[in-house]
Amino acid sequence: MSEFKTVGKSEIRIDVKGKATGRTEYAADLKMKGMLHAYLVRCFDHAHANITKLDMSEAAKEPGVVKVVGPKDVTDKIYNQSVIDVMVPPSQVEPLGDIEDQNIFAVDRVKHYGEAVCAIIATSEAAAEHAAKKVIVEYEPLPVYLNAEQASQEDAVQFDPRKPGNLAFELPEVMFPNKTMGWGDVDAAFAEADVIVEDDLYTSKQKQCQMEPNSYIALYDDEGRLNCWTSTQMPKCVHTKLADIFDLPMSRVKLIQTTVGGGFGARLGMVLEPHICALALAMPGHPIKVQSPREEDWLTSPSRHPGDWKVKLGFKKDGTPVAAQASFASYKGAYYLDGSGVAACAGAWLQAVYNWENLAYQGRTYFTNQPVCGAYRGYGNPQQTFVMESMIDRALAELDLDPVEWRKKWHKNVGDGTWFPGVKYSSVAIDPCLEQGSAAIGWKEKRAKYANQTGTKRRGVGVGMTTHTSGAFPMLLEHTVCSLKLNEDASANLTFACSDIGQGSHTALRQIAAEALDFPTDDISLNTSDGDITGFDIGAHASRTLYVGGGAVIEAVNDAKRQVFERAAKLLEANPEDLELKDKQVFVKGSPSKSVSLKDMLHKSVFNYDATAETGPNFAEGQIEGYSSYNPKHCSPPWAATFIEVEVDMETGEYELIEMVNTHDIGRSINPAIVEGQMEGGAQHGLGMALSEELYFDEDGKVLNNGFTDYKMLGPSDLPKMTNIIVEEPDPFGPYGAKSVGETGLCTPLGAVANAIFNASGVQVTDLPITPEKLLKAIKEKEAAEKAAA
Amino acid sequence: MSHHTINLTINGMPQTVTVEGNETLLEVLREKVDQTDVKYGCGTGECGACTVLVEDNKPINSCLTLAATMDGRSITTVAGLAKGHDLHPVQQAFVEDFAVQCGYCTPGMVLKSVALLSENPEPSEEEIRHYLEGNICRCTGYTKIVTAVQNASKNMVQYAGGDAA
Amino acid sequence: MSTRVLTKFDLQVPKDIPEALDVLDNYKDTITPVAGGSDMMVAWKLGLESGNAMSVTALPGLDYLTYDDNEGLRIGALATIDQLLKSDIVKEKYPALWEAAEVFATHQIKNTATLVGNCLRASPAGDGSAAAYALGATLTFVSKEGERQEHIDNLFTGYAQTSRKPNELATEITIPAPKAGSKSAFWRVTRVNEDLAKLNVAAYLEMDGDTCTEARLVMGCVGPTLLRLPKCEALLKGSKVDEATLEAVANTVNDEITPIDDKRSTAEYRRSVAPVFLKRTILKALS
Repeated sequence: MSEFKTVGKSEIRIDVKGKATGRTEYAADLKMKGMLHAYLVRCFDHAHANITKLDMSEAAKEPGVVKVVGPKDVTDKIYNQSVIDVMVPPSQVEPLGDIEDQNIFAVDRVKHYGEAVCAIIATSEAAAEHAAKKVIVEYEPLPVYLNAEQASQEDAVQFDPRKPGNLAFELPEVMFPNKTMGWGDVDAAFAEADVIVEDDLYTSKQKQCQMEPNSYIALYDDEGRLNCWTSTQMPKCVHTKLADIFDLPMSRVKLIQTTVGGGFGARLGMVLEPHICALALAMPGHPIKVQSPREEDWLTSPSRHPGDWKVKLGFKKDGTPVAAQASFASYKGAYYLDGSGVAACAGAWLQAVYNWENLAYQGRTYFTNQPVCGAYRGYGNPQQTFVMESMIDRALAELDLDPVEWRKKWHKNVGDGTWFPGVKYSSVAIDPCLEQGSAAIGWKEKRAKYANQTGTKRRGVGVGMTTHTSGAFPMLLEHTVCSLKLNEDASANLTFACSDIGQGSHTALRQIAAEALDFPTDDISLNTSDGDITGFDIGAHASRTLYVGGGAVIEAVNDAKRQVFERAAKLLEANPEDLELKDKQVFVKGSPSKSVSLKDMLHKSVFNYDATAETGPNFAEGQIEGYSSYNPKHCSPPWAATFIEVEVDMETGEYELIEMVNTHDIGRSINPAIVEGQMEGGAQHGLGMALSEELYFDEDGKVLNNGFTDYKMLGPSDLPKMTNIIVEEPDPFGPYGAKSVGETGLCTPLGAVANAIFNASGVQVTDLPITPEKLLKAIKEKEAAEKAAA
Repeated sequence: MSHHTINLTINGMPQTVTVEGNETLLEVLREKVDQTDVKYGCGTGECGACTVLVEDNKPINSCLTLAATMDGRSITTVAGLAKGHDLHPVQQAFVEDFAVQCGYCTPGMVLKSVALLSENPEPSEEEIRHYLEGNICRCTGYTKIVTAVQNASKNMVQYAGGDAA
Repeated sequence: MSTRVLTKFDLQVPKDIPEALDVLDNYKDTITPVAGGSDMMVAWKLGLESGNAMSVTALPGLDYLTYDDNEGLRIGALATIDQLLKSDIVKEKYPALWEAAEVFATHQIKNTATLVGNCLRASPAGDGSAAAYALGATLTFVSKEGERQEHIDNLFTGYAQTSRKPNELATEITIPAPKAGSKSAFWRVTRVNEDLAKLNVAAYLEMDGDTCTEARLVMGCVGPTLLRLPKCEALLKGSKVDEATLEAVANTVNDEITPIDDKRSTAEYRRSVAPVFLKRTILKALS
């Protein structure tokens, strides 16, 4: 018998019936009177070039064209399309060196393939697109830089005068002495180490590829309000930014969050909102719609940060991890966005997992002539999980130590330092994850069985593990406002701006409200998308929505209950602190027989017209609304481990994913099916990053595979059966003990599959993605080396 | 530039539309007859968001179909499956088995699953996984979609005799 | 152009063959006949191809798939890959073709794509066309001048080019009835399962006991067109197909192919695995 009414139940999600019938609308589905269509003209000729001529006059004459809009026709305000800068404490901005460096349209120079140069507004999409062919743009090509090495050359063209050497960011000295994150003395430790492993690795430019392409609508209406319909993950922050870009008070901007067809970080900020709003301002009274073709998604919304890793790890014979030294030179793409984010966070995650006696991490990011990088589910953690888990297993193979046992022994524990300095772990339940996961995959038996294979097809099992966070406290602003209106029939309306980007957060947050109120979930409805109605919320990022949103909901419920108890106390002649609300009855704890009906109370609070001759009219006490402006006290990092079995074909380098076990230290699952969905969905991204996904370029910086024909994700027949093990050891800070699940499940498969392939084939591929081409080459090189040695 | 007048039956309703030679069925469905439940996902026939069913519940990519070649044809979109609040067994299974997250792939995925069960009422897991290729989901990792199709299959076989769509 | 909006072009939808031939005569090489058109639509959207379109989907009576022991397998220009996949005759008598149909694109595409169309696109990576090539198919072209047969050995004239004249319409592809003791198989290698091939192999062998009397071997993605492997075929013909013969064949294939680095794979990888997959396909055919 569960102690909870709804927490822990896989209640059907509130948004899925409309999605299954096709009746739920996304931004692209919205049609409005007087709507015009926009097409953004982009540079597909160069990845780096000065613009010497822009002539839209011929395009303006084309049939159906209403207006052509270029850089001179829109604000020249410089902005940053990410909204992470909104969350950075003001005192950190200068030390971090965060900058704003983007224009709506490229003014003098395009810095990446696909950058927007102007726009056509027309009566139809087809008319706008056809007219675009008549836009004349001339360029003077500039040298193209596609990696950190090229961009940092002495004579390289500078992207931004504020960033000499095209170094967009490195760990600031004022926060990290010697620009290094860590502790101890790695050099001294290496000198004493028994085993050292060292290598260069590369993690690739992965793209979220959320299924909903980027579509937006904006309208500068008759009341002088700029309305923007967008499926951004971060409505309130985007609202702030749009007001700022267009010099409007916030009250003159209205942001409506449409159904989000996936985000994964691609929408952690603005993509085309500035453009569509600029076009709306150019055509007052007309809703303007832009529907960006799929191929432009790889060019406009931010990807994962790729980059070059150097990793050196030192161990004692018994496996004691004495030193970890790592550096990440990431490629920023053409603009800054959250330049200080991933390069720093990759190190933060790296040093959070194991008890390295000495550690030194350096993170940098360099501008490159590539489409922008920003947030992507995991935020530096997938990259560090791949490199560190791979290198650890390399050492463990040399030391002949079991990877699961070693991880159990050396992971951080409650009281140890988390990803953020000064914050200690509040709960760590990775041991049950490792134990149950390894049992489920048959770890011991299989490692023994696969120890000395000689055939063409060889199997292996591998493990990958990491920790993450639940919200970005205390590094970034964490704040959610929630209100809960109690209606006269004892139903409730819950209002917040927390985004459901497909993960099911609205359902889970409603369950939390229902649990706290002891209401059936069906009695609670949600208001979430209208920016005029909802209070502040950062948005969906850093796996925060359930953890922080849930805290906000509980506080709003408690505020409502406090008001209920104050009134009920008079009726029950008791102290408000002694009261309890269960099943919509208010009573003194321990005396349920003497109760007042919540419904009666709430009804009377609104409809009190029982005036009597003696008393005269009674004024209704008023409708009760609970409110919270909530800041979390912790970030309760979750932990996770993935186990994978693979079969490698030693003659072809091909591999097959046989089985996968995902384990997660969730604290408490509010809705287990939703938790599983995050584990399974994250795994598809993580495996894709490991095995097949990468955006690549020719030497001129032209994007070669911005399409599903050549950007390959794993499909249903590529993926193995997934078993999910959810470990629940409630966290002291999380709502009902819950921690997050959104991002860890993407990271752990990277380590697991790399290590499984290593276990099967005896070789490691250090450049993502691990393709059969690279694996076969490594196998052949090892065979040749063994032959030579023999 | 050619104009073609075509007669379609969409979810059982006759529609006559005039289309340009270069218009896809997807554009015509979304813009001319307001079937916005059919989605644009990639335009190159790879993501399956634009999937519709033609006669015999056969799935096709509407983004790769020239509308003018569809004269006289019968088309089913996801909106044609439910009757009011009564969901098709495949839709019901998707809802109950958490096979829907962001929902953008769902219209195409549901129709594809209906097509599969029409052709193969009791598919194995491997058959389901292979048949669903061509419909991309970026949220679920496909696990619960497969479960939903398996459960829908059980429910539909139980009520064998009814039409799939 | 983009994946959302096609460039403007003329679309002709003739109702019968004479009308179709008139259209081809008028437009000549400025029009492309399309059946399912899935490949051409993508090419048009991405700007890789241009020109006008003639849909053959309204031409009556071209969706047949028939077999008899004299004429063999007759596949009409509008017979879909799905029809091939659902045919027990194809599965039993032409395994290479059936196996290619099984992995051909997606089910949505199988329902509109045709073998004739696949052959006429002449992609060096074609799956159905590789199988048809190994099986020794013949295409029928009609034009105002009359009708002619073109054996598939003469069809592929260059990268994405065929011997079809601009005023010709392909109406059928036929594959001879399988000889006694004939075997075939198809194999392809991809990045993920649902993908264009990075290497494919179609093998057709006529066997007399253990001895191969005839061989047609086709490899794709290793040259500007699908390639026959005559040296490898010569090693098989008249020989016992044992480990030694297969080794010799495997060691020869790299003499006959010219792979390049492209989006799907590398020349190095293709050379490394071509011998492996050729061997495996031959063994699959014989199993």
